[in-house]
Amino acid sequence: MLLPEHDFIKPRSLAEGLAVLRDAPPGVRLLGGGTDVVFNMRCRLMTPDTVLSLRDIPELQGVDVLPDGSLRLGAATRLTDLVADPVLRERYPALVKAFRAVASRHVRNMATLGGNLCLDTRCWFTNQTKEWRDAKGPCLKTGKDVCHAIQGSPICVALNNADSPPALIAVDATVTLASHRGERTLPLRDFYREDGIRHTVLEPDEVLTEVTIPPTRDRLVFLKETARQGMDFSYGTIAIRADGNGARATRLHIVLGSLTTAPRDLSTAGERLVALGLGDDGIDAACATIRDALGPLTNLYSPAAYKRELARTLLRKAIVELREMPA
Amino acid sequence: MSSPDDLSVIGRRQPRLDGFDKVSGRSVFTDDIVLPGMLHGRILRSPHSRARIVSIDTSRALALPGVKAVVTNADAPDLLFSDQQPLLAQGFVHYVGEEVAAVAATDPLVAEAALDLIHVEYEVLPAITSLRKAMQPGAPRLHEWAPGNVALTHEKDFGDPDAAFAASDLVITDEFRSPVQHNTLAELHVALADFTNPAKLHMWTPTQGAPMYQMALARAFGLETSQVRIVYGNVGGAFTGRGRAKPHHFIAALLSRHAAKPVKIKATGDEEFIMFRGSGETQYRFRTGVTRDGRIRALEADVSFDAGAHAEWAMILWLPAPYLNWLYKVDAVRYRGRFIYTNTVPKGSHHGGIFGRLSAGWMQHLNHVAEELGMDPAEFHRKNAIEAGHHALDGSDFASCGLKECIDKVVERSGWKDKYGKLPPYRGIGIGIGAQASGGKNAANDTSAAMLRVADDGIVTLYTGIPDMGQGSHTVMGMIAAEVLGVEPEDIRIVGGDSDITPFDWGAFSQRGTFTTGNAVKAAAQDARGQLADTIAPLLGVAPADLEFAHRRVWVRGEAPDAPSRSFSFREAIGKAFNGVEGRSVMGRGFFNSPRPSGSLAYSFGAQVAEVEVDPESGAVKVLKVTAAHDIGRALNPLAVEGQLDGQVFSGMSQVLYEECRMDGGQILNPSRLEYKLPRTYELPEVEYILVETIDPYGPFGAKEVGEGPIVVTMAAVANAVANAVGEMLPQIPMTPWRLLRVIRYRKKRAAVSGP
Amino acid sequence: MKKGFITLTVNGDAHEVAVSSRHTLLDVLRGKLQLMGTKEGCTTGSCGVCTVNNARGEAVLSCLTPALEWDGQAVTTIEGLEKNGQLAPIQQAFIDYHAVQCGFCTPGVIMSAQAVLNLTPTPGEDDINDGLAGVICRCTGHIKVKEAIRHAGDYVAGRKA
Repeated sequence: MLLPEHDFIKPRSLAEGLAVLRDAPPGVRLLGGGTDVVFNMRCRLMTPDTVLSLRDIPELQGVDVLPDGSLRLGAATRLTDLVADPVLRERYPALVKAFRAVASRHVRNMATLGGNLCLDTRCWFTNQTKEWRDAKGPCLKTGKDVCHAIQGSPICVALNNADSPPALIAVDATVTLASHRGERTLPLRDFYREDGIRHTVLEPDEVLTEVTIPPTRDRLVFLKETARQGMDFSYGTIAIRADGNGARATRLHIVLGSLTTAPRDLSTAGERLVALGLGDDGIDAACATIRDALGPLTNLYSPAAYKRELARTLLRKAIVELREMPA
Repeated sequence: MSSPDDLSVIGRRQPRLDGFDKVSGRSVFTDDIVLPGMLHGRILRSPHSRARIVSIDTSRALALPGVKAVVTNADAPDLLFSDQQPLLAQGFVHYVGEEVAAVAATDPLVAEAALDLIHVEYEVLPAITSLRKAMQPGAPRLHEWAPGNVALTHEKDFGDPDAAFAASDLVITDEFRSPVQHNTLAELHVALADFTNPAKLHMWTPTQGAPMYQMALARAFGLETSQVRIVYGNVGGAFTGRGRAKPHHFIAALLSRHAAKPVKIKATGDEEFIMFRGSGETQYRFRTGVTRDGRIRALEADVSFDAGAHAEWAMILWLPAPYLNWLYKVDAVRYRGRFIYTNTVPKGSHHGGIFGRLSAGWMQHLNHVAEELGMDPAEFHRKNAIEAGHHALDGSDFASCGLKECIDKVVERSGWKDKYGKLPPYRGIGIGIGAQASGGKNAANDTSAAMLRVADDGIVTLYTGIPDMGQGSHTVMGMIAAEVLGVEPEDIRIVGGDSDITPFDWGAFSQRGTFTTGNAVKAAAQDARGQLADTIAPLLGVAPADLEFAHRRVWVRGEAPDAPSRSFSFREAIGKAFNGVEGRSVMGRGFFNSPRPSGSLAYSFGAQVAEVEVDPESGAVKVLKVTAAHDIGRALNPLAVEGQLDGQVFSGMSQVLYEECRMDGGQILNPSRLEYKLPRTYELPEVEYILVETIDPYGPFGAKEVGEGPIVVTMAAVANAVANAVGEMLPQIPMTPWRLLRVIRYRKKRAAVSGP
Repeated sequence: MKKGFITLTVNGDAHEVAVSSRHTLLDVLRGKLQLMGTKEGCTTGSCGVCTVNNARGEAVLSCLTPALEWDGQAVTTIEGLEKNGQLAPIQQAFIDYHAVQCGFCTPGVIMSAQAVLNLTPTPGEDDINDGLAGVICRCTGHIKVKEAIRHAGDYVAGRKA
């Protein structure tokens, strides 16, 4: 199946790209490595009038250490290059693990950081060919007032299935969004919305240009559970950042990915662990908060009951790994 | 001839003869063929599981520039795909994906656009989309002629099952289910038809055997079989998925006839899953009666198959009955099978046929029986296993059988006795055994034929119709010809994959390739060698039977192969024949057909032990090691045999742990290689293979099949290993993390309630 | 642009090709340049049979990038591995270790394997697993594929060293 016809534009600079977004009517689709967008265009889930390729924009490339010790990651940097980056490997092995967890090496050789952060939400009633969707009937995302995943749901509950957001949220990363109107920087946490259709706050004329990671000496753990290692979307991911060492921590930031429409913070679980320590009692108490923290779950790709159990498993395993990390 | 113990080519680790073409990108597959003027075909499919077609309007599609043909049932109302099934939907549709109309256009983009312009009005009707619903008492009828939605039944008793069960000390019953599974061939379904001359239909397509395609297409289009030519040079995998022509083959031909241009239809990624005809949902009830000391008296299996909306593959319905006889010495066997209609795509089978999925349940059940008896399952299998010379209740005879030796070898090499029952929690070990027929008569004959000619430069051209879909049949046929003629495999050129050229061969299914076609090629090579010997023997003053052929030389038995003036190089010898007074062009021909009226001449056997680790927190399974011992007669090409074992261990663990078409009504939720999970590099276990070489008296150089026997055993061993790890029989494949977690949690709760 | 010419270097040869925004790199290789060694599979990035190497020698999926994105760039396909009529070491290793069965995925698998070797001539188990997990070989279960890659270093340009 060929791609839907569109106007393909490849700007040479960020300014040129933002000008396109200023002038173009709605219906522009930003393209990073293409691994998500081209897939969805083939399925006719995306039929943009214009595709704006960000891949070679110079301002969007590379990893830099800023004077305050923060790291700046250009949004068009490929995941492969992030995995290979010496600074990231030394300072944030768990972040590198999260970048390397994305899809397959083939995909990471093309996919960009910005693309993974903006990865469209996924649903197996929606991410199908047009013929398939026609047979099932349209849904909230494809033009009708029906959700096939949760009957009666007023909003789209497709999953945020990207692997890097939970890890980057856990380290309090910020993202910079640029448009012809100017720039704004916000915590990555606030970038996501609990709506499978408009799943980020990115405006139609904006581009995600960079990610900034503040310096930290905290511990960071990332885990991914998937059907197949080395090439798959996650059933669930977790990232936990904690200060202290061993079973002691005064601050914990726990983020679950791939189970819900936006990455989910487990703040109550974090509080319990701070209070009770990272021993087995603390873990049990933290796990007891999962049901409420997650709320209703879908059966998309794996059953809801499994998702809930998996969240507890990921939490338990991540805390054990965290407390056993060398100081 | 060289005696079987003095083989120069057979038994060698021979790299593929087509290796160079395949690694260099030169191999031509169907989609690589572009014919002048070729059009691109697309199929409009039913979006409904059941509906009445109120109207079809194709006028807008026909008016689109570039569209050269649009066909619906109205254009070919009498064209049947199978006995009860029109090629294009007639009045009603019965499943999502059913072919309703088709277009051919100058460009794939235009074909796609044309599909959107065909307007079909449907009146949607209630549908039955699962086996369970179709079998419910009082379920609505899918077809008028099928009360209870039963399409076909097959009932078979061998011996007196009632008496044998009555005489048993212990009778155990278990139930099991297997899901919808897809063959996931590497090369997606594709057909290129040139029917521009109404007297000849040329079709390029991957197939497991040309004759079935020729016959089906000829019947549908009112042609003689020879008026249909099937070209299948390279076949990108089959795994039972290319046994029969599918609707797209017929539609490509129909469009080509209408447009008077060649037409190619290839499946898009998810269309592959819609048109697939893989295995359907299946329910099994197993019952076994044993004596207290562990002798099996009676075996019973009751199997209900989801046939889909039409019963296309009756064969899989009756295959289990004989299979139940092949492994054990028993008093009686009972089989009850039925095909059930549902509003889903017609089903066939997946890698391992019916035997793999059946074994994943049956072998767990027999494991359960052994454990109830307090017996080691390996010991239980061995105690009841058949031996060479056994005559089974269904009439099968086993001239060679290394089953017990296979069991002994895997028990020894896997460390079974130190592990079974002694592993830490959530580590599991399981054993499975199996047998498989090497070809067999399911029709009037089971014939393969072969021809070869020897050019005056000593190069041999072998004509064979057996498809090489990866298993390496062309290479092994070359080895057989080389062995008989005393030349090297590299001296053999294979001409295959064209029904206009190659002699008759049913093809590569029922594990008949090496055994049946191998015997045919051997006969053809012997014929050619005989002609050569007749010419050379008088020159040396000996009888033709006194000549030896090997290492590219011909000499007198008992003398030195290179004795001056008493021996020839093969090339010299063929020169003598061709350039002599007679001017003989050496051409051999041969065919093979089992002399038995039914069933098979030879059976392979095997045993495997699998070891697994289950993560009790996530439910994920890791297969650690598979130890496999197989009696496949003689391994003609051990390198290719290992390749067959690799692929079947992979596919067997894949079906038990991963593969499942997850259904939503009549639609497949995961019709992609992303969501239909096949394991990849990280998931593969360590493997160890042991070949138990019984030399079968009927097989070519003693060989038996290796194309399907191993996967059946892998599925049994892996299923038993996982059951062993979690502590109980698992009633369903695939054993996904969520299914295992449910069992693990349930067992923990039960243990907590009942106390230590 | 919706249609236009791109300059694409394939296996060292520069081509000027007319493409539309509907085409991917795969469509150009197979449809326009008739380089049929690169196969079309799922076209959604999951099977890997369309794998080619980019200018850095990395494995990329030709089905997943718009052709227009490749203007001015270079790729290597399976047809470009032979040098002076000699198979590349990895190709010979695939034959000798029986890493090929039906052969449909083989071009994609070999280009993935070549990319692994481009990174390191002596890949470890994880390098091989990670580099090959993006392709699916249905016939071999990757077992002999991995063996061939482990031994590719024993070869120099088509011969065992």
